[in-house]
Amino acid sequence: MKQPELPSNLSFEDAMKELESIVAKLDSGEGTLDESITLFQRGVELSKLCSKRLEDIEKRVRILTDDSNGNKKETDFLPTDESNTEK
Amino acid sequence: MNPVFSVTDLNRYVGEVLSANPVLSAVRVCGEISGCKQYPSGHIYFTLKDKESQVSCVAFRGNASHFSFHPDNGMSVVISARASLYDRDGRFQLIVYDMEKDGIGDLFIAFEQLKARLEFEGLFDSSHKKMIPELPNRIGVITSPKGAVIQDILHVLSRRFPNFDLLIYPTAVQGLTASSEMQKGIEWFNRSSNADVIIIARGGGSMEDLWCFNDEALARTIYKSAIPVISAVGHETDFTICDFVSDLRAPTPSAAAELVMPLKSECLSRLHVQQDRLTRALLHSVSIRRNHLLALSGSRALVSPMRRIEAQNQRLDMLTVRIIHSQNRTFDRSSRRLEQCIAGLDALSPLKVLSRGYSLTIDPVSGTSISSITQVTSGQSLQIQLSDGLVDCTAEKTHARRSL
Repeated sequence: MKQPELPSNLSFEDAMKELESIVAKLDSGEGTLDESITLFQRGVELSKLCSKRLEDIEKRVRILTDDSNGNKKETDFLPTDESNTEK
Repeated sequence: MNPVFSVTDLNRYVGEVLSANPVLSAVRVCGEISGCKQYPSGHIYFTLKDKESQVSCVAFRGNASHFSFHPDNGMSVVISARASLYDRDGRFQLIVYDMEKDGIGDLFIAFEQLKARLEFEGLFDSSHKKMIPELPNRIGVITSPKGAVIQDILHVLSRRFPNFDLLIYPTAVQGLTASSEMQKGIEWFNRSSNADVIIIARGGGSMEDLWCFNDEALARTIYKSAIPVISAVGHETDFTICDFVSDLRAPTPSAAAELVMPLKSECLSRLHVQQDRLTRALLHSVSIRRNHLLALSGSRALVSPMRRIEAQNQRLDMLTVRIIHSQNRTFDRSSRRLEQCIAGLDALSPLKVLSRGYSLTIDPVSGTSISSITQVTSGQSLQIQLSDGLVDCTAEKTHARRSL
């Protein structure tokens, strides 16, 4: 009863939708115990992935600048102080 | 040799040339009013401008008092005027003697024409609009790094989803180069695949200020972008070509930030609800089977059920181990609940049944359990299994149960 691996690019939303449908299926109480366990295990995998998707986004704010060769490079964007702010 | 003028003479001369010109002495000019000031004297000074140029105007009290409306900044008007030179400053100006409202200014006509053309070509078709990702890993923002717009966006995002990732492509957002800079920004993001969604943003301004967002080449670049584009230009009431061609129009830059990132707290609670339901559903599933076993164990049909019950119990134990292994720490709480539930299954153990006062009668010769008086003859040795041991005994007599 080996489950197919979750696709590495599965989005939060798609994983969430599959998790919701698994819960609904499991709730219906149909199928054998083995099937229920298999569904449960996939549900656990999906919920782990959802949580990973939410936490894996790195907190950063960057701005592009031109280097000496005219290529774009990223540097940290520091919020300007109010005196710099044009309305 | 040409004569040498004094500045005063030159200005006076130019003034005379201007007023002598038949076209310039009675000219009608359309444009938008800006910098409008009325002096206590009753004279009104303002600048009339279009996309590229501007001209100083003055309406003296005698004429201004006859205007059918009060001129104000941003109004598109057609003035009737004569050209003159203000001697002291050498400044070209129009002396306005009449003014009418211009319902459809030049910019507006150009805007409508471009909009109609692009719409006809299908650039605004909803079938071409790309889905905005629900949870972008990286947001690209094309805007001015100075000013309130980027601060507003950062502020809203921090509130909605603290660990967001944003990359700013800085550009001018008004003026001649703005459109092509923004166009390059969209092309850069597409080439480098450095964002899942692009926001093109600017704060409020006059129609001229926002004009760069009505650029045809920029519109076509947005249309071609493989990365979805959200347009967030000006205020809610401002519409630009960018808004129509983008995959999503946000009424303001702050609104774009609201639209681009979900509320993390909502995502988490949605996930927790499902995790909880998942565990409950499995426990429920196990408990249905437990009840089923309980029902079977109580039935007379299962007089020698021990091995089956044991086997089933073992299987449940084994599955429980598998479940527990499959869980990570976030499921610890659920695991414990599951274990408690499984512990309940222990009540089904045959030993437990015996401890409640039931016993099992076995033929010590064959080792099989005895379920009927027909299996017993007088004087036969029997073994009775109780919860804590065995009793050897001999059958004396059998009695058939009276039917009720």
